[in-house]
Amino acid sequence: MAKQTSVAYEYSLKSVTGSAARRVFRLGAARHFDAATVVMIAVSLVTAYLVLPPLYSVVQTSLFTTKLTGEIDQFTFRYYENLISELRVVGPFLNTLYFSVGSALLATLLGGAVAWIVTRTDAPLRALGYFTAFASFGTPFILYTIGWLLLLGKAGPVNTWLKVLLDQPGPVVNVYSLFGMIFIESLLWSPFVFLMLAAAFRSMDPSLEEASAACGARVWQTMRRVSLRLMLPAFFSVMLLIFIRSFESFEIPALVGLPGDIRVLTTSIYLDAQKLPPQYGSAGAFSVLLMFVVAATLYLYFRVTREGERFHTITGKGYRPAVIHLGRWRYLAGCGLFFYFLILLVLPFLIILWASLLPFYMQPSFEAIARFTWKNYLTALNFPKITDSIKNSIYLGLGSASAVMALTLFASWLLVRTKMRGRWLLDLLTTMPLLFPGIVMGLAILRFYLFVPIPVYGTLWILLIAFVTRYIPYGIRYTHSGLLQLHKELEEASYVAGASWLHSMRRIVLPLITPSFLGGWIFIFLLSAKELSMSVLLVSPQTPVVSVAIFELWENAQVGELAAFGVIWSVILVSIAVIYYVIARRYGVQQS
Amino acid sequence: MGNQGRIVLANPNCRRVAVSVIFFLLCAWCGFVPSLGAASVEDIALMNRPDRQKILLEGAKKEGKVSWYTTLIVDQVVRPVKDAFEKEYPFLQVEFFRGNAERLVQKMLAEYQAKRYDVDIIDGTVSPTMVRRAGYLQRYYSPMLAEYPAELKDAQGFWGTTNLYFFATGYNTRMVKPNEVPKTYEDLANPRWKGQMMWSTSRGSGAPIFIGTILNAMGMEAGKAYLQKLKAQNIAKTTASNRQVLDLTIAGEYPLALQIFNHHAYISKSAGAPVDWQPHEPVTATIQTIALAKSAAHPHAAMLFLDFAMSEKGQKVFQQSNYLPSHPKVPAKQVDLKPGGGRFKRAHYINPDAQYDKGNEWVDYFNNVFVK
Repeated sequence: MAKQTSVAYEYSLKSVTGSAARRVFRLGAARHFDAATVVMIAVSLVTAYLVLPPLYSVVQTSLFTTKLTGEIDQFTFRYYENLISELRVVGPFLNTLYFSVGSALLATLLGGAVAWIVTRTDAPLRALGYFTAFASFGTPFILYTIGWLLLLGKAGPVNTWLKVLLDQPGPVVNVYSLFGMIFIESLLWSPFVFLMLAAAFRSMDPSLEEASAACGARVWQTMRRVSLRLMLPAFFSVMLLIFIRSFESFEIPALVGLPGDIRVLTTSIYLDAQKLPPQYGSAGAFSVLLMFVVAATLYLYFRVTREGERFHTITGKGYRPAVIHLGRWRYLAGCGLFFYFLILLVLPFLIILWASLLPFYMQPSFEAIARFTWKNYLTALNFPKITDSIKNSIYLGLGSASAVMALTLFASWLLVRTKMRGRWLLDLLTTMPLLFPGIVMGLAILRFYLFVPIPVYGTLWILLIAFVTRYIPYGIRYTHSGLLQLHKELEEASYVAGASWLHSMRRIVLPLITPSFLGGWIFIFLLSAKELSMSVLLVSPQTPVVSVAIFELWENAQVGELAAFGVIWSVILVSIAVIYYVIARRYGVQQS
Repeated sequence: MGNQGRIVLANPNCRRVAVSVIFFLLCAWCGFVPSLGAASVEDIALMNRPDRQKILLEGAKKEGKVSWYTTLIVDQVVRPVKDAFEKEYPFLQVEFFRGNAERLVQKMLAEYQAKRYDVDIIDGTVSPTMVRRAGYLQRYYSPMLAEYPAELKDAQGFWGTTNLYFFATGYNTRMVKPNEVPKTYEDLANPRWKGQMMWSTSRGSGAPIFIGTILNAMGMEAGKAYLQKLKAQNIAKTTASNRQVLDLTIAGEYPLALQIFNHHAYISKSAGAPVDWQPHEPVTATIQTIALAKSAAHPHAAMLFLDFAMSEKGQKVFQQSNYLPSHPKVPAKQVDLKPGGGRFKRAHYINPDAQYDKGNEWVDYFNNVFVK
């Protein structure tokens, strides 16, 4: 019943706006062909310039052995053969699948539920959702993981309390397990899901849901048959990204899986990479293989969303979705938000704060409180060039977030609005940097700019170029799913009214996809503050950045010193994020 | 004008000047300029003559700085060494760049291929060897090298050493009773410790060099038999550094931390942590080597720096920073951290070349036996 309603509604929308508007659009498009074409060519060229050199490097790395000097040596299929023999071993392959599918599902469930409560219901504590997402994402990655390992470790507080509570002799929770890996990875990614889905939920067309409700569908039926279906692009985007990132991630499998003997496909690649001279062929081959998988997935996705109109929720009519009144359930939803806040932010942050105040790590106890000291903070503040590092990291975050979002807004527009042939290739191109092994990409950029006479080596610019390239995939997913929701009748109306293409981009498109745009911006800002694998190669003595400082501490310092530095940096990042949120919200409110 | 020229050349003195000018230009043209301060990096590095110090000082004054790519920890030892050196030679500035061995080498090699010679000095337990294999290291002579034993310097003069690292088993004193502490390698294979140990996978400071020491000290066959016994112990592995492994032991996660730096345990113990270290003979040791880049832009200053770092004076800076100086006459601040200090006698120094050449086998052995 509800399904029929929504389909009927879509068709009615199409027939009313479709044919007439298309004619007008063609006229408008012809008139504004020049500006649009120029921008689009520029966007494609910039993207190709950023993505193709590292892509070439990745493929080359996978097919050649390298000399110590980094020059390519001999052609070989060895890395692919190794990979295939690795794939034949069932254990690691299944673990990888469980890990990446599990993380994608759990993160989407967590982030999606919170996004729905925050954007669509009248539950209390809704602002907490945003704060939690920003703050937990601002915590350095390594530290966040360490926090959870300390919390859930054999001697950690959770196990100690559970032991007493359940009267068990040994540890109850084993964090060094597949479950532990999925749990931590999902927590790490749920802010991403939240930011993306919150944007999508906020831009929901209420009339479709209302139509469904008017036909007698219950809230759950409406959600399942109308709301969630309309969000398919957004859901697909987050799941795809998290799946890929987990599939190829080294960090959680190495820190959480390896001690518990949970091997995934990347484990042996990681351990092999220790050999000298350094060979990244296995990592290269792995990502080339992934590229094919992702290309296939994107192609399918593209076919599904080709009928873009189906996902339009922002039309000329009011698009602010109605708030769902939960009644008594609102308190439960509020509790859920608080629980999310507790798990995602408070617990790991508290244990990090705890570690930062101790001369050496001790499990929480009164005895430990007596030993509290500021020593770690003094060490952290004494870290060489700490103010320069912070300044540089913030500049880089601002620069890469703005550049990526601007670039991908145009690229997405190209993907969604034009009927250019083979545009899924552009989609693929913009998704590829996600698959490049960080170290290979870092080396590729390092070499490229050492040889190409563009004087960026040793400056912040080379880092900016690297970051922008790295984060294009995230930008594209945010803007793409945002634009898919935007009905083109709005732009067409703007053309009819005589606006130029650029003008209507600025006055119509940008304001309407503000939630996605701002969500993507802050996400990339926070992400770039953590970037490590390329930064360690590209920084110079004059351009230190925070993530490298944290890595240095991770490799060489005590937990407490690392924690103190992390606390300082998280507080700075979170303050920026909160200020940003307040400004962004005001801006968003004004626009509507 | 022609007249003047004839007069000039007629003068025998002038003729001599003219001839020498022509000779000089010829030499310059051939790229060979003797005794005019433009000596090659090689000449300066291998210089061994009475006025060496004077020449180095003069050259260094013109250079004004020295650039040091280091794997040492900045706030612990890089800054103290920089300060002490700049105090000794106030006209010189030390510029440093810190990174782990692999990144440091990748950066330097990429720069060299682009003919960008930013680095003068490079150090590390294996990084100088990697650079040497790529052909970008310069042999050098330093009068200080004579004071070091053969195992702590390169026979061909490619590297000297600044400090040493000794590995031991760290244990949580609240979880391991004094009489239980595993004293020997054999004790580690005691079933009592099954599932109770952790080590790092790091090539340069984790399980692989432990394996190297065992295979070297016990011989291939006995060594492999021992490692098989150890495999049954289910030692937990992590990619975290051995400092982090030790911290997990202090936190009570694992009673024993294998293959940790003995001075880390000492530092934590001094802060009151429930931890101590136990050496197993022969103790695995690695050496921090220090070397000169082939096309160093500041060779004079670089030589002064190398001399200083290996001199007794420079070694005292390492000592005061709680590092273990490699100079035989400079003991550790906490004496028993070095061999002969009372807690252990024999150390198995892993030569950087051996670490480079054999390291892959050890990594493979570790991956095949302990990971799969």
